[in-house]
Amino acid sequence: MRRAVVILAVLLRTALRGLQTSPLPSALASATIAIALVLVGAFSLALGNMDGLIQRFTQDLQVVVYLDPDLSAERQRELLVSVGAFEGVHSAALVSKEEALERFRTTLGGGELLAGLDHNPLPPSLEVELMPEARTEQGIAAVVTAVQSLPGVEELAQGHGWIEGYARATSVARTAGVALGAVLVGAALLIVANTIRLAVYAREDEIEILSLVGAGRVFQRGPFILEGLAQGAVGGAIAISVLYLAFQLLLPQLEFGLSLMTGGARPEFFAPKQALALVGIGALLGGVGSGVALIGWRR
Amino acid sequence: MNPLGRREPASGGDAAVRTFHLSKTYLAGHYALHDLTLEVKKGEFVFLTGSSGAGKTTLLKSLFAAERPSEGQVLVLGRNVGRLSERGIAALRRRIGVVFQDFKLLPRRTIEENVRLALDVVGTPRREAKAKVFQRLKQVGLHHRRYHQPMSLSGGEQQRVALARALANDPEVLLADEPTGNLDPDLTIEIMDLIVGASLRGTTVIVATHDHSLIQRYAMRTIRLEGGRLAEDARSGVRR
Repeated sequence: MRRAVVILAVLLRTALRGLQTSPLPSALASATIAIALVLVGAFSLALGNMDGLIQRFTQDLQVVVYLDPDLSAERQRELLVSVGAFEGVHSAALVSKEEALERFRTTLGGGELLAGLDHNPLPPSLEVELMPEARTEQGIAAVVTAVQSLPGVEELAQGHGWIEGYARATSVARTAGVALGAVLVGAALLIVANTIRLAVYAREDEIEILSLVGAGRVFQRGPFILEGLAQGAVGGAIAISVLYLAFQLLLPQLEFGLSLMTGGARPEFFAPKQALALVGIGALLGGVGSGVALIGWRR
Repeated sequence: MNPLGRREPASGGDAAVRTFHLSKTYLAGHYALHDLTLEVKKGEFVFLTGSSGAGKTTLLKSLFAAERPSEGQVLVLGRNVGRLSERGIAALRRRIGVVFQDFKLLPRRTIEENVRLALDVVGTPRREAKAKVFQRLKQVGLHHRRYHQPMSLSGGEQQRVALARALANDPEVLLADEPTGNLDPDLTIEIMDLIVGASLRGTTVIVATHDHSLIQRYAMRTIRLEGGRLAEDARSGVRR
């Protein structure tokens, strides 16, 4: 165990020396990873916010069942009980004609516009909240079909149509994002691999001497992997910093356009865990890049 | 007892190095080593001599697995060098100290760091390694220059650093390829005394050299190669 710690310390020192002796290639590798991660991060930030919006709207998703205005209060209550018992329905609430008018008045911000009405034109309705697992296109369709067949039901309104469309657009964007991300990550990986390969060639004498004094594979290759990990982590940290700055600086200017995309919800930046994950992904990229560089290399 | 007062290894003792019909070819039909069979016992001191191209360096390289045999076998410290894996070679080299003709020092590292390499690869804790490096550098008279870089030293001093590195880990076998080739006569004696000192502590030593005055001065077993073949083994009296 102690030997392992000593060897790890030596590897870290060697890696640090490697970074110090070749700052430019190291900076290039970090910058490449940073650029790739900024693009991938920006994309996933946009998709994350779109996903969040879908989730929020899906949580609020309701089916509104408009009833015949002439239906008796007793029949309205019977319908409330029937609908509440349907599979996939979490709860149902009755909104009377009077209550509907009152809500409308509140929404308009006063009663002036409604002052000329000689009767209440709004129908009574049932607001149906669905179980989380029923908040899908199929789940909603099943509830709608069942409710529509009930006598006394005039019309149904469900907001799922646009949400489904929005979700489909998000899904397409995500697929495009994954493809773009894969290309960017692949390109970053190749650049890092080539940078590390150059470092390996530049330090071939050193590796040869290490080998001659009995350094094994870990000793010869470990420092390069550690260098790759460090370069990648630095790239990841740069990427998250750039994204955060861009988010803070550009958000006020893009707020209107974004609000159309996100339905007025305020875009959110990565959670601390996600930001750390991006740094981790950067480190992983660097480490794997180094590994790729060392494939086939044998002293 | 030999002229240095060291005990001769018992004839039946374990061999540190054995070669069996060892041949090495780089080009078909051109032998760097040809059908070489020899044995060096543990703790023994051997001079390896012969003209340039006789195969001295190739033999040393075969012993620390820098070259694989084309034919025959090489056993070092009981390991069959030709069959060792990468890991096995590294493990064997950690038991062997090598002094190279061209020193093989890392130019961007200090003298201390260069010597410490041999201790780093076996996982010697830093403090212990520093103390050991200081001791070895003191033995070769370069402790006061431990923070210098190799390029600031003379050829002879670099050779001494290489020797300090080779001895840093108290190797079981020390291989030295012309260790005094770049040294003046006084330094040659100093370096050779250090190498002989290692031998007295039980290290098996094989020194390749052209220098007949050294061979005469130290009067140790001498193996002479010619055209890759064993031409003479002065201890055993073999002459071919």
